[in-house]
Amino acid sequence: MSGSSVVERVTCLGCGCTCDDVAVEVRDGRIVGVTPPCPVGRAWFGDGSIPEHVLVSGSAAPIEAAITEAARLLVESAGELLVYLGPDVSAQAQRAAVALADRLRAAVDSATSEPAAAGLLAAQRRGRAAATLGEIRNRADVLMFWGVDPTQRYPRYLSRYALEPAGTHVPAGRAGRRVISVSIGTDRGPTGADVALEVAPEDELAALSVMRATALGHRLGELPERLGAVPDTALQLTTARYAVLVHEAELSAVPRSPHRTEGLIALTQALNGVTRAALSSLRAGGNRSGAESVLTWQTGFPMSVDFSGGFPRYSPGSRGLERLRGGGFAAVLIVGSAAELAGELEARRAPVHAVVIGPRASEAPLTARVAIDTGVAGIHEGGTAYRMDEVPLPLRPPLPGARSTAETLGALLLEVRARLAERSG
Amino acid sequence: MSAPARLRIVGGAVHDPANGIDGEVRDICIESGRIVSALPDGAPTLDARGMVVMPGGVDIHSHLASSSCNHARRLAPEERAADPVPAPALLDRTAPARSGTGGTVPSTFTTGYRYAGLGYTTAFDAAVAPLMARHSHAELDDTPCVDGGIFLLMGNDEYLLRQIEAGEHARARDYAAWLLGAAGGYAIKIVNPGGVEAWKTGQRNVTGLDDAIGGRKVTPRAVLEVLADAGNALRLPHPVHIHCNNLGLPGNAATTLASMEALQGRRAHFTHLQFHCYGGEPGKGWSSASAKVIEYVYTHPEVSTDVGQVMFGPAMTITADAPVEYLLYQSSGRRWTNIDIELETGCGIVPLAFKEKAAVAALQWAIGLELFLLSEDPWRVVLSTDHPNGGSFLSYPALIQLLMDRSVRDERLKQVNPRLLAGSALADGLSREYTLNEIAIVTRAGPARLLGLRDKGHLGPGADADITIYNRDPDIATMFSTPRYVIKDGTVIVEEGQLRRAPAGRRLRVAPGYDDAIVPDLRRYFEAYSSVSFGNYPVAGLPGEPVAP
Repeated sequence: MSGSSVVERVTCLGCGCTCDDVAVEVRDGRIVGVTPPCPVGRAWFGDGSIPEHVLVSGSAAPIEAAITEAARLLVESAGELLVYLGPDVSAQAQRAAVALADRLRAAVDSATSEPAAAGLLAAQRRGRAAATLGEIRNRADVLMFWGVDPTQRYPRYLSRYALEPAGTHVPAGRAGRRVISVSIGTDRGPTGADVALEVAPEDELAALSVMRATALGHRLGELPERLGAVPDTALQLTTARYAVLVHEAELSAVPRSPHRTEGLIALTQALNGVTRAALSSLRAGGNRSGAESVLTWQTGFPMSVDFSGGFPRYSPGSRGLERLRGGGFAAVLIVGSAAELAGELEARRAPVHAVVIGPRASEAPLTARVAIDTGVAGIHEGGTAYRMDEVPLPLRPPLPGARSTAETLGALLLEVRARLAERSG
Repeated sequence: MSAPARLRIVGGAVHDPANGIDGEVRDICIESGRIVSALPDGAPTLDARGMVVMPGGVDIHSHLASSSCNHARRLAPEERAADPVPAPALLDRTAPARSGTGGTVPSTFTTGYRYAGLGYTTAFDAAVAPLMARHSHAELDDTPCVDGGIFLLMGNDEYLLRQIEAGEHARARDYAAWLLGAAGGYAIKIVNPGGVEAWKTGQRNVTGLDDAIGGRKVTPRAVLEVLADAGNALRLPHPVHIHCNNLGLPGNAATTLASMEALQGRRAHFTHLQFHCYGGEPGKGWSSASAKVIEYVYTHPEVSTDVGQVMFGPAMTITADAPVEYLLYQSSGRRWTNIDIELETGCGIVPLAFKEKAAVAALQWAIGLELFLLSEDPWRVVLSTDHPNGGSFLSYPALIQLLMDRSVRDERLKQVNPRLLAGSALADGLSREYTLNEIAIVTRAGPARLLGLRDKGHLGPGADADITIYNRDPDIATMFSTPRYVIKDGTVIVEEGQLRRAPAGRRLRVAPGYDDAIVPDLRRYFEAYSSVSFGNYPVAGLPGEPVAP
């Protein structure tokens, strides 16, 4: 085969921007071009090559045998099983994985990071004021970046959604928007802002409180000098038509206050008393928001769900990986990319049986009883993925044809149900 | 045991008001999922002697499968933790039984099971942002037992506002048609016309039909007119479904009546009417204006409504009417979620409880009952609680009891705060008691007719074999909360009060035709303002075929 073809409107899961306007050039079964040339997107697509192995105890096996062995192991471990939703799987595969967890009375958790989980919990205490990314593009006339510059991790956030494009209510694009860059210690805001504010990490929550008090119209007494510029910055927000606060919801290099998100939520809600405001939470790629969405509609809870009692129980205080680390499970079913979990498994002293079904399962640096390579959602497999703002988007795989994660899980579910039915007579 | 293709339901008292049958004892025959006029001798039978047979319930206005429902589930995990639901013991091995959680917004599988357990076999989610339709369809895929559909929010849509402002009414109609097909919707929904767009600007809300929306030369009146015309011109099975301006505010009955008058004979459905029937004025108190509004409805056959009854207990307010939720957040001090949805609409959520000792809640409760009891045409004033806004769908049996049993109603009335009830018809004593036939109208035959579902809400030959069979019980709430049998598409899904099968429901949607000339303009508009590619916006691969006009 020679000559190349271009697949248009491909949805990229490289980061939570989940841009759906990517053109992918394919030649001889390999990806040879990604437009626009976003570095995160290019790295995520790679050349599209993936292993296509099926391994049982490290040796090649027919898929039927692998499914049988996986089902046997999982049914044997029912009640002491963790189902882990890793990145790079579609919502359809996530639905099948949660169905398996339900049948097997497993605990199920996802790649939702600890800071993101803290944000979900804060939103459960307070609610939140948010907006879809297009709303930010169309309305935001003041943007405050709170200790984050999206450029590295979310390369197209500024050009596609938040800053540069013209919008219905911001026809001049960047020229019609005011940018406040807040740096908190080493968490730096973007350069080139209209207003820059330095906040020491130990003053972060106090600064958020002062801003909120300003938004609520409270009279403030004399502030320490290091917070002196904060009320004026807050006034920039209260005089906006539509203010958007942007923060990193994922892990950053330096641990930060777990209360940051709650402070930002409270500030955003308060701003809505005097103007309109929304909080934009930057989330990593791979359909992580999808896992939270699926878990919520199927169980009522966005993460850390335990089916061991025969119904979904919420245990956000003891996440799946923590329990795994503490020896709480006999087996783990990893669905999706296993890379992030491998270290956890290797660090554990007691042996845990692993079944891995997902992209590059056979290359996961862990000893899996069963490893079934499947396609990457969005590159080899279709379905739906959720953007960081929870907008669901269709996946248009430029290299279809690899083994499907969702279908493999469907086959496993059938086998598991048959075995459970046999067991219960 | 597999479901028999044929079944004769023998000896029940049949309430099939669409076919003029009021409690007559007769057999109902089913073949291949549909009602037939007769079956050969020897067909399997189901003994319904002494029981009451009705079509399956049809919920015309609920919030059960949407991104806003998912935000609400997530917002109140304590509700779901307090209501764990183990998987039912299904006999049917084709669909796996799923566990879940309840509360005011149950998880999807539990929602389907609970609707079925109540004898409801069809339900519509009344507020879906088209951008989020893909999510709603995924939730419906995981909501078994009920046929489902979604109404698409259009009353604050940027493209529509632009067409209306430019006087391009034909293009507005084509857009509505395109949107219904692209998002797999069933009806056009208007929520607080113009008010949600105003909320996203400094204007914050509109107050009446002739306010300019966000500085444009477009008014709520124009939005109502253009979309009502579109719904009728496209011959949609259900006319435009309207949540009026000024929901929940004292004095809003004037706005409601003005909205009905504005449509001047056009077919339209006014939803959760109870929330729009208040007298008095802001800052000066509340009263009931139900009599005036229901009189208008009765004398205008083009108008239909559902009540949106408030039931005492926990509720979850979920609406695209985001400015109202901000007011609730301010007055309740509770948690508040607001999501602005680009170019289309908004979403607001506040958990709430209606308490009988609270004067306003008592008034709302009374107004809803007045609408039911003063209604002279049950076909056009049908049952809803705006689930879960006025209360869960699980409270329908208690509501039916209030309608059918005056003594229960009068007892309840004694327990509520009477402060705002002076002069209300309910406080003055309404003796009416609904009959079983009237209940069959407001819970199935009426909603099905208003929704244009020709094969639902009745038991004549050709109808879908969606049937509910109740034991008679002097306690009406018990009777309606525990049907003995529920049959969906001919399959017995509830037996002896237990859910035994949970087949997937069907998707109810339309795909009206439109002039293709709109497409290039829409593509340009998406490229300029949407965060989603035009070609990726339509939802592909929906189950089943669209309903024919």
